[in-house]
Amino acid sequence: MALLSIRNVFKSYFLHGKRIDVLRAVSLDIQAGELVSMIGASGAGKSTFLHVLGTLDAPAAGEVLFDGRSVFSMNDAEIAEFRNRTIGFVFQSHYLLPEFTALENVAMPALIQRRDRAGAYTYARELLERVGLGSRVDHRPGELSGGEAQRVALARALVLKPAVLLADEPTGNLDPTTGEGIHQLLRDVNRDLGITAVIVTHNETLARSMPRRLRLAGGQVSEA
Amino acid sequence: MHPAERQTDYRWPLLWAGALVALVGAALLGVAISESEAWAEVAGALGLSLVGWGSLLQSFDAGALALGPGPAGAVAGPKMLVAGTLVWLAGWALIASGIRRAPVSTEGPSPAAGSTLYPRLARYRDFYWSTLGAYGGGILLAELVMLLLQTVLSSGVPSDLGVASKESSGGASLPPTIAFAIALVVGAGVAFASGFVGASRAQRLSLPEATIGVFYLGLPVPILLSLMERVPSLQLALGYRLREVSYVAGLLGRPELGYWLVFAALVLALVLGINTGFIAAGSGRVDLRLGFELFVARRHVAVFRPSLLLGALAVLMFGIIPPLIIYFIIRGAEAAVERTRVKSLGLADPLAAAAAQHRMKLHEQSPTMMMTALSVGGVGVGVMALIIVLSVMSGFEADLQQKILGTNAHAVVSKYAGELPEYAKVMEQVKRVPGVVGQTPFIINQVMIASEGNVDGVIIKGIDPHTVGTVTDLPQNILPGGDLGHLEQPGKILPSRAVDDDEDAPTKTPPEEEDPIIGKASKPAKPTVLPGIIVGRELAASLRVVVGDRVNVVSPLGTELGPTGPIPKSRAFRVAGVFYSGMYEYDSKFVYILLKEAQDFFALKGATGIELKVADIDDARRISNQVVRVLGGYPYRARDWGEMNKNLFSALRLEKLVMGIILSIIIIVAAGLIVATVIMLVLEKRKEISVLKALGVPDGGIVKIFLAEGLQIGVAGGLLGLFSGLAWCLFIEKVGIKLDPEVYYIPALPVRIEPVQTALAVIIAVLVTYLASIYPALKASSVEPVEGLKAE
Repeated sequence: MALLSIRNVFKSYFLHGKRIDVLRAVSLDIQAGELVSMIGASGAGKSTFLHVLGTLDAPAAGEVLFDGRSVFSMNDAEIAEFRNRTIGFVFQSHYLLPEFTALENVAMPALIQRRDRAGAYTYARELLERVGLGSRVDHRPGELSGGEAQRVALARALVLKPAVLLADEPTGNLDPTTGEGIHQLLRDVNRDLGITAVIVTHNETLARSMPRRLRLAGGQVSEA
Repeated sequence: MHPAERQTDYRWPLLWAGALVALVGAALLGVAISESEAWAEVAGALGLSLVGWGSLLQSFDAGALALGPGPAGAVAGPKMLVAGTLVWLAGWALIASGIRRAPVSTEGPSPAAGSTLYPRLARYRDFYWSTLGAYGGGILLAELVMLLLQTVLSSGVPSDLGVASKESSGGASLPPTIAFAIALVVGAGVAFASGFVGASRAQRLSLPEATIGVFYLGLPVPILLSLMERVPSLQLALGYRLREVSYVAGLLGRPELGYWLVFAALVLALVLGINTGFIAAGSGRVDLRLGFELFVARRHVAVFRPSLLLGALAVLMFGIIPPLIIYFIIRGAEAAVERTRVKSLGLADPLAAAAAQHRMKLHEQSPTMMMTALSVGGVGVGVMALIIVLSVMSGFEADLQQKILGTNAHAVVSKYAGELPEYAKVMEQVKRVPGVVGQTPFIINQVMIASEGNVDGVIIKGIDPHTVGTVTDLPQNILPGGDLGHLEQPGKILPSRAVDDDEDAPTKTPPEEEDPIIGKASKPAKPTVLPGIIVGRELAASLRVVVGDRVNVVSPLGTELGPTGPIPKSRAFRVAGVFYSGMYEYDSKFVYILLKEAQDFFALKGATGIELKVADIDDARRISNQVVRVLGGYPYRARDWGEMNKNLFSALRLEKLVMGIILSIIIIVAAGLIVATVIMLVLEKRKEISVLKALGVPDGGIVKIFLAEGLQIGVAGGLLGLFSGLAWCLFIEKVGIKLDPEVYYIPALPVRIEPVQTALAVIIAVLVTYLASIYPALKASSVEPVEGLKAE
């Protein structure tokens, strides 16, 4: 059985009173451990697709199944917990919480789960060292460079060892060299930790380097 | 037609015109009703029914009533009524014609038509009957529990339950106020719990259910209780059963106000319960843990910082301007020093200087920080004002109570009619009642008192000097120069010099007694010893008498038959002492003589009654009931000080309550500031809220974070207000604020810090801030995660 499957999902936006159908009866299966890239024109709905996949946005119709279980039939608390434990997000911007240090930001998902604080910090420190930021743990996001912040965000997404990593143009704001570093990290994560990853990108080279490639156009997803 | 396509269009001009016309119609109807003077009947018929579905029918009934009994407006009434009704209906017709069904959408079905709605929306329900039951039943239950507890706790089991009447009451005979406090806490607990259960079952706030529940199930009890005060038949049916309840409410002077305040408190408890239930369980699971939420909230608003707290405290204690000036001086000096340091650093190492400058910039405060400080100060000002004003009012009340109880007894035993000849026997029985610590017989009457210089009407009291000290403070209140003991040994009273001067022989000759009829001095034979009298300081001043002076007491009641017909009884007394109680009314209106003299003067055999002192003045009511029971009930009766001074103390309590409500408005204004602050925070933190949600914080967690932020402000403000309020109270108490003794009869502003009242002020502040933060917190939780995550 597929780890993640999407069944007949619809999603629309309303712009100036007009309905724009972003997703039209999208159905898709993603197997455990897959590394998937998704490309598509700006505004094609790649982010929306990722949000629906990550339970951040509810579809108008259809179902998202995780391990055969319908995600959107759970209640709020269960969905939040599902998101917390199962899915790691990396966005185009780092979206770190400005009042907290890098270490606290990375440990945040564990703190949300009310895990033991010392243990969470220990593991978060380990992760930060692994992404090469061992010396920046006590810096606030405002004191980090873009690439550093994005690596902190990646560490945050991985702190609870999620089953799925969803990345929305993670290198869109970075220069090619820094971006390549992040890409390498993503590939390592997929290979070493066995985390299923869906990476939305504009970067054709990156997309081509992924084992499975998807293209979103006209509200439909197709294998590229 | 498919129900989903039913949509309405509004033609606003028609709606407005219709509303206007209907208003005119309603005004005409009002004029018609008031002209036929049928307001009472119409209001009665409309009253409760406006709440129910039968309102239309009832209002027609009311119209008929207005037509029927109107004898005065018989000419103008009906025409006006018909015109009013027609205009009113026409207005509604206009409104109805302004609402049209919208045309069916021309678009075809969407591509998703027919596919399954996503599961959570498909499961949505509009209305939860069980929640309605929980809310409505909860508030009704809370009211009933309060009524029952109040009755049981303060009087024992209601005696009309048919149980064999036990003499010493089956329940706990607590003082009514304590019973009320317990009943209120339990009732509020019930309301809170039912709100919690209802909201956590429905997993949302369920406002329609709450409104309907409170309206239909909660309102009838307070309405009934209020009506009971007005409608005699209800009073007859229910008054005795609910006597304890109406007694407590009556302590305010206006029982209805008491009922509605309690109702409001219960509704508040229900609302709090609903919110707490929703926050705890709204996202599908009861979660009362707060650790993480507080962790985040503390970072968002750092209220508990020494600089902010000290600054706010300084503003509360010394006003705005002085601390501000000091702050600017300190900040100016600090900045100058810092800049000099950075400059010298820069001369050596420009990069280190840049780093130092960067750090200085980081210290700058955001506008939200400023708002937070303002809100803390606002709540602090409210709490401080509440504490100071209520403490001063309590001080006045305590002062008044002390003076009243210093002069009057805690309770008085008498008969419903007539005197009490067997007072010695009664005193013997009363002595055995536990809680009675002193008693003294007395006779009271009204007389005229005349001195050489003046005349005044006073209340004369015959007292027993041996026992009067066990009940009142009279012995302590005698000013130096007088002596209570001289009442019994009038020979020891030395005539004053003023009297001596008038007389021929300086020492030996006693004052002559003038014959009131002939007006001529009777024979100055031997030194007559006049009985003693004790007068108040103000009376002594207005009569211009001192100790040893002679006064005449004239009673209009007991007349004596003189040669020319009945004449008022008159007797001469010598001032044996002057007392000062501190109450102008008492010092100018009371005189005391020996009980025996009074019996003689008023031709009584016994006493008017017995004054009692009890161990606990708050328990006086229960002890006086006990005394009556020991004496065997009728014809004896006992009245406690609260009952005797009911008007005064209920007026004071009402005044304090109204003052408290008015001052709470300051806190409510401050709560407005908190709403603004937290809304600003929510706007500022939109992105963070989205991120937190993406990381797996449920809606309830977001609500908790922002509630905690509001509550931090409330708690900090409340504590600051508490400290500054207590500090001001202590200042007033120790240093004192002088009052004009001519006006106030007390030298300085009295202060009494009542712990319960002070704690209540802080609790009110925290509750209000909690309520104020609910809305912004809910707003925060409704931020969609996707909203804040849109790539810029």
